[in-house]
Amino acid sequence: MIEIKDISKRFGKVQAVDGVSFTARDGHITGLLGPNGAGKSTSLRIISTVLKPDTGSVTVDGLDVQHDTNGARLKLGVLPHNSGLYPRLSARENIRYYGELNGLSGTDLKRRIDELVELLEIGDFAERPAKGYSQGQRIKVALARAIVHGPRNVVLDEPTNGLDVMATRALRTLIRKLRDSGHCVLFSSHVMQEVAALCDGIVIIAHGRIVAEGTPDEIRRQTGEQDLEEAFVKAVGPHSEAVA
Amino acid sequence: MMRKFLAVFLKEIVDNLRDRRTLLTVLVFGPLFGPFFYTIMMSTVINKQIADLDQPLKLPVAGAEYAPNLIEFLKQHDTMIAAAPADPRQAVKDGNVDVVLVIPKDYAAAFSAGKPAPLQLVMDNSRESAGKDIKRARNLLEDYSLSVASLRLLARGMDPRTVVPLAVEEADVSTPQSRAVLLLAMLPYFFLFAAILGAFYLAIDTTAGERERGSLEPLLTTAVSRTTLVMGKLGAVTLFSAVSLALDVVAMVWCQGLIPAAKLNIALSFTPLTALAAFLVSVPFCLFIAALLSVVASYTKSYKEAQTWLSFIMILPMVPVLGMVLYPAEPALWMMLVPSLSQDVLITGLIKGEPLKGLFISVSVLSTLLLGAGLASLAVWLYRRERILG
Repeated sequence: MIEIKDISKRFGKVQAVDGVSFTARDGHITGLLGPNGAGKSTSLRIISTVLKPDTGSVTVDGLDVQHDTNGARLKLGVLPHNSGLYPRLSARENIRYYGELNGLSGTDLKRRIDELVELLEIGDFAERPAKGYSQGQRIKVALARAIVHGPRNVVLDEPTNGLDVMATRALRTLIRKLRDSGHCVLFSSHVMQEVAALCDGIVIIAHGRIVAEGTPDEIRRQTGEQDLEEAFVKAVGPHSEAVA
Repeated sequence: MMRKFLAVFLKEIVDNLRDRRTLLTVLVFGPLFGPFFYTIMMSTVINKQIADLDQPLKLPVAGAEYAPNLIEFLKQHDTMIAAAPADPRQAVKDGNVDVVLVIPKDYAAAFSAGKPAPLQLVMDNSRESAGKDIKRARNLLEDYSLSVASLRLLARGMDPRTVVPLAVEEADVSTPQSRAVLLLAMLPYFFLFAAILGAFYLAIDTTAGERERGSLEPLLTTAVSRTTLVMGKLGAVTLFSAVSLALDVVAMVWCQGLIPAAKLNIALSFTPLTALAAFLVSVPFCLFIAALLSVVASYTKSYKEAQTWLSFIMILPMVPVLGMVLYPAEPALWMMLVPSLSQDVLITGLIKGEPLKGLFISVSVLSTLLLGAGLASLAVWLYRRERILG
């Protein structure tokens, strides 16, 4: 479970995140939805410990990311904006590196990698250098790498960006599998349909603030719009119509 | 901690060993440039000196038949008499020959009469390469003139020494060794150059390269401390730098055998033992340069920008070394506080076969390592900041 309490972050004159609070529960897929530049990535970066909030706090399974940073990291799997694989290393080597950095070793690590290779259907290209991977293959390996240490919480930043239909479907199936096995999944997107298709709970963010929150039904009710896309546009406000 | 350090260290090594450009730089260009350049320069200088010393003066002479005694004297003094070109002036002007001796018809008559016998030396003083032959020809003619004068004075019962009021002895201290010194002074330069090139691409790849690929952000979400991360990376950069340096030193030992130094009795003492000592006093510099390049590359925004900056930064350690080549100074203790300068002074001492000074070596090693450690902590601090994500 990830609990975000009143976090704010300012870069120079830009208030990127302004008092955001929400909770992503175990066994749920929580979608962080917002137009480009709304503060989604900044929020996720604060949760994934690479940025420090100016105010507020984040706890992962009860561990404060600022006080017990390494403890929180072990309970988090992070898939960043772009996959960030090492192009000269193979899928197995990429996954093994993160396993070692998160404290795994020996036969435990090897067994875990085999498990992930099977779960994510990486086998066909597991030994090839990552340089030649398709976007879909890259995302799979990056996801395997993110969860190699078996974290209960998984954070994905716009994971379906640049994926074709088949790869998107495969990824959605994987995300559902993670939820069904009890994981807490938090992912960001700027595409309403995607969030609607996948999420149990939606948090809509614009201009660094939360503008609507709840299940898809609740959001329809809050905004008084039947169509989710209309609801999203209404919630985000007049300035961001173009990007919805 | 140790296990994670090794994970980072080994990953950077394996990753970079698969990069052809890095590999070529670390294993080929870095270590071999110096020794090859050095060998070719050294052999050229030495062979030229041998050639100048050994070869007889080749002197075209016009009208040799008018002065058989002079010709005989020249031949006895290591001169090869050649036939003169039809138009000596034009031939010299065109650069076909360096100098021509022209003996006019009235030489014999003047010589017999005891008057100054006319001779003409056709030359082009503006041509530098001809200088040596011109000087040799002129000296030989002066020697002949003096010996004839002495004989004439003796025949008249006078002491020949009366016409030699001065006894000028030319003491030319330019020996083949001293000419080799300039080249010898470049040896430390080549060593440090190899160490820098060895670190160059790894320092960029592990910092700016990592950020540009987008792999830095997920890396920073793993449960590894920034200190461990930076140390693993610096360790790999230092290792590559040291490998390049070691190969350079080994190649230099091997290249010594190719230089015909023995022909001139030059003591180019770069034995395997000297090489090992040179390597050991230089190794701390590998850590220093690895940390320096990594810190600078961490500040840059992209691989390209890092390359631009590092190309500039890599010249900095060379400044004191080149300074020593241009303005040689006696080794002093303060020099040991400056990385690159201290290694330069120590290696130069080793090559010259001077006794090692324990104090100098310890100050050099300690100061270089301390500065390297300072830069390493700066790198750790940089990685703790959010701005490292760019």
